[in-house]
Amino acid sequence: MAVIDELQDIETQTLAKVSSAQSLKELDEVRVDVLGRKGSLTNILKSMSSLAPEEKPIIGKRANEVRKTIESALEARHEALEEAELDAQIEAQALDITLPGRHKVVGSQHLISQIEEQMCDIFTSIGYKVYDGPQVETDYYNFTALNTPEDHPARGMADTFYVHDLSGEQSRVKGESDVLLRTQTSGVQVHTMENLKPPIYMVAPGRVYRRDVADPTHLPMFNQLEGLVVDEGITFGDLKGTLEYFCKEIFGADRKVRFRPHFFPFTEPSAEVDVSCGVCHGEGCRFCSHTGWIEVLGAGMVDPKVFEFSGIDPEKYTGFAFGIGIERVAALHYNLPDLRMLVEGDMRFLNQF
Amino acid sequence: MRVPYSWLAELVELPQNIDDLVARLTETGTEVEELEKTGAEFDHIVTGKIVSKEKHPDSDHMWVTMVDLGQDEPVQIVCGAQNFEEGDHIVTALPGAHLPGDIVIKKSKLRGVVSHGMNCSARELGLSDDHDGIMILPEDAPIGLPFAQYAKLSDTIMVLEPTPNRPDMLSMYGTAREVGAILDKPFGIEARDLHESDELSTSDKVAVSIQDPKRAYRYNARLITDVTVGPSPEWLQDKIRKAGARPINNVVDLTNYIMFLLGQPLHAFDFDTLAKNAQGKVEIEVRAAQDGEKFTTLDQVERKLTEDMTVISDKVSNKAIALAGVMGGLNSEVSENTTAVLLETAAFSSAYTSRTSRNLQLFSEASMRFERQVDPNQVSWIADYAASLLAEISGGKIAKGAVEAVAQEFTMPKLTLRMDKLRSFVGAPISDEEGIKFLELLGCTVNHEASEASKYEVQPPSFRPDLEREIDLYEEILRLWGMERVESKLPAARNHAGGLDQKQKLEKKIGQLLRALGLSETITYSLVDANDLVQLNMSEVGLGLATKLLNPMSQEQSEMRRSLIPGLLRAIAYNQAHGVSNVHLYEQGTLFFAEEGKKQPKEQNFVSAVLCGQWQDDTWMGKEDALGFYDAKGIVEVLAQELHLKKVKIAKGDPDRYPHLQPGRIAELISQGQVIGWLGEIHPRSLKNFEVKGPVAAFELNQEFLINKAVELVEYKDVPKLPAVEVDFAIVVDEAVTAERVQQVISSSGGKLLESSQLFDVYRDEEKLGADKKSFAFKLRFRSLDHTLSQDEVDKALRKVIDKVSRATGGEMRA
Repeated sequence: MAVIDELQDIETQTLAKVSSAQSLKELDEVRVDVLGRKGSLTNILKSMSSLAPEEKPIIGKRANEVRKTIESALEARHEALEEAELDAQIEAQALDITLPGRHKVVGSQHLISQIEEQMCDIFTSIGYKVYDGPQVETDYYNFTALNTPEDHPARGMADTFYVHDLSGEQSRVKGESDVLLRTQTSGVQVHTMENLKPPIYMVAPGRVYRRDVADPTHLPMFNQLEGLVVDEGITFGDLKGTLEYFCKEIFGADRKVRFRPHFFPFTEPSAEVDVSCGVCHGEGCRFCSHTGWIEVLGAGMVDPKVFEFSGIDPEKYTGFAFGIGIERVAALHYNLPDLRMLVEGDMRFLNQF
Repeated sequence: MRVPYSWLAELVELPQNIDDLVARLTETGTEVEELEKTGAEFDHIVTGKIVSKEKHPDSDHMWVTMVDLGQDEPVQIVCGAQNFEEGDHIVTALPGAHLPGDIVIKKSKLRGVVSHGMNCSARELGLSDDHDGIMILPEDAPIGLPFAQYAKLSDTIMVLEPTPNRPDMLSMYGTAREVGAILDKPFGIEARDLHESDELSTSDKVAVSIQDPKRAYRYNARLITDVTVGPSPEWLQDKIRKAGARPINNVVDLTNYIMFLLGQPLHAFDFDTLAKNAQGKVEIEVRAAQDGEKFTTLDQVERKLTEDMTVISDKVSNKAIALAGVMGGLNSEVSENTTAVLLETAAFSSAYTSRTSRNLQLFSEASMRFERQVDPNQVSWIADYAASLLAEISGGKIAKGAVEAVAQEFTMPKLTLRMDKLRSFVGAPISDEEGIKFLELLGCTVNHEASEASKYEVQPPSFRPDLEREIDLYEEILRLWGMERVESKLPAARNHAGGLDQKQKLEKKIGQLLRALGLSETITYSLVDANDLVQLNMSEVGLGLATKLLNPMSQEQSEMRRSLIPGLLRAIAYNQAHGVSNVHLYEQGTLFFAEEGKKQPKEQNFVSAVLCGQWQDDTWMGKEDALGFYDAKGIVEVLAQELHLKKVKIAKGDPDRYPHLQPGRIAELISQGQVIGWLGEIHPRSLKNFEVKGPVAAFELNQEFLINKAVELVEYKDVPKLPAVEVDFAIVVDEAVTAERVQQVISSSGGKLLESSQLFDVYRDEEKLGADKKSFAFKLRFRSLDHTLSQDEVDKALRKVIDKVSRATGGEMRA
């Protein structure tokens, strides 16, 4: 056969094999057969030197054409086969995506500290700082400096936990002690006013203690958030605006807020703050004892006597203070049936929040 | 304070709708705790008239009656009473009525005759013991009226809770004044004439002295003779019953009535039981009780008194006859045989009364009022008013004049009201006229002439001891003007930036890290069992003394905690008892370390955790590992790393220092030589005491130390650009050789080129390695920052490491 015909044969046959190759391996065998070191086309190219001089350019040109044609056919087929193999592989790798995912266990934040953090965030975002004070407090900071009368029932052993005073000092009342577990975070107000000069914008979250037996609605230990503002020109209108803002942030913008005059020894005028009931929206229901309102806060303008105890001039500065029970907010928000759940550490309870 | 609406309506004009009054009271600071409807027990009981009366066909004592109840047709009722005739007005209970003794009226048949209800006797209605037949009403009684309405038994009692600074509101009169002020209506009671006897003068029979002016302002005694003790008139019984007292007799009822009406507690002594002096005079003395003095109060309890309690005594016998302001004595009680009454109207000190009540745990309507202060300046007129009424209802004669001892005058300071200051304090445009008007409505005297611009002189009344300062007037004006009307503003914190400080941010970060690492936060009591540390077997070294409660409610909560672990172990026990076995909890909380000579304990924040069970239940991907020492250690390591603690080391802990931990599984976290806390597995014996199934891995770290050792600003190090060479090698060592030891030798022998070494396998095999041997496999990473390492360099460094490690630990290279 003439060389030129041989080339034609190689081209025809190889292109047919390329297009019928079903795998990359098969395709590679075709390539090796033709273009490999001992491939049919390679052999022809190798034997070019033995051709007659006048044949060389013609055969050479033709051989290169055939090689190019075959190479591009191989490449195209290679790509097509690769695509097909990937498709097959992807199909084989399909998962049952309904099986559960793999994850590390993530813990949860306690409800009370979530709410406390939320409250602190609200106040720090409007320029407040967060302070802390001792839980084992003297009766001066817990009562006296907050203008609580000497004989106030809250000071009694029936309501307040007292602890042994190890200083050896004589107590105010014979046989009792002047050291106690704070019954309110309000003492932090006094510490703060002693330590800082106005302007003061602060909140103090923390544990407080009252001599109540634990039951669904009481705990002997619970948490409060105290707030205090002292500055020039602070008005009752500022108190209202601040606490309305706070209540709407915590309970929702659609809740109404009202202020009822009340009495606390360390503020005057004082108010209790109610938000409209979230269950009945103010219509009156069992949840709000048919009043349409739920009491959430105690507040008032700082009593001038309290300022005097802390060495702040009440003619120059005015201010307001407030306190809120965090467990109470938790109970209202989540409709908790029993406050004791908050201190049991039940994983099934904790991980809900 | 129970305020019957009908009684209040006699003193001040009230709105038609009670809800309007309730709303106004609430807005102005008087809490309405409850609205109690009276007379509901008489529902379905109505007045009627007997239309006809016929013998029951099958009974010789029963009657079949037709009763007109104001409906279209009369109703047939079978009746067993004999005391009535046709045309009598009676009281009928209809089906649905509930009578005392759990009797529910239903339609029924009595010996074959249908009865649609019951004609009632007074006893059946629970009104008296009269059972001589059914109640016969007067002929003019209306027909078909609900009985409660007919008998004026239907009323609304407002249970008010005035704030503790308002003693004036513990009376109907004071409540009427307040209501008059908030509604801008006049109020008042009718004056009474005092008819005194000419025959007998009080001062001939009674003398009064007050030993200590601190204990009483005033004491007024009046004598009423020729008294007949018996039931009080119906109107009086009705009023005090609604106000919350049980009618006893006219004398006692009168004292209660005056107390409810005017807020002044009274006491009536049987004059004849008191000792007289040679002139036949009773000498009343208000004095301190003697320490240990015994006294039997009206409730028949013998009480032991102390000297800070005040008694009324008759000086002649020196016997106590009443506990001042709290309760009378059994020895001088008014009885049905009493004919002469000594009526006490006094103003006792609030502090002494409160202490007496509290120390004896004896609280009365009287003590509650004295505690909040009774107005001494009204004692005299109230004594006259009470005597006059007592004489009227008991037929007695009032001896001439009162005997009154005044130990201390009581006056309220004059105040200056600056309306300008008030306006800027409240932030509302309250006019001078409004302010003055509110104060006057509340009983203050105001000089309308301003001394300067908007500056007024105000004299508060003595029944408002809470109005001592200018600020007290602001409060009154604001609450009557209306808190709701004040425009709300949000103050900008001028010259003041907010936010958390560095310490608070790190506390927050620690919590976030622990949760990210799988621990859930909990809260446990800071009040703990005094036995907790003993049960845990934790060493008290470094924990100071316990802060012990003087008045604990139980042993389980009798001191302040010095470790968070007992509370956390209880939480595990609680979970295990409820079928939850995977427990991983942390708490960030305060511990309390007391010290002799210090008033207050040192309070420090700690962060502690317990891990028990697995992270989670086994999954379809495989089994989960049981939690143990290395999980606790891993968490502590991450904390140390993320807080960038300075010079950190986790070192082996001494079992003698940590007896609550299982020996061999104890470590300490140390930063710059300071022990931050411990980690380990809780000793099985300790777990048993807390009824916890172990193992439990735990740690307790001093959060303040942790935060102090944290590096705020971490220094930047170049990220390497040249490639590293990693080489693995394994070495067989004795069991006693620790991983830490091998690691140390690797680090010190690796030279500058050794970047890191990572322990990736610990392997034991008695056959292949021998007994008490283990193999550690390390991956060493070599790198130079300035050139690409050659194989020679790496080989040389590795040989040195192997050489040093073998020699230092006696270990052998594994092939």
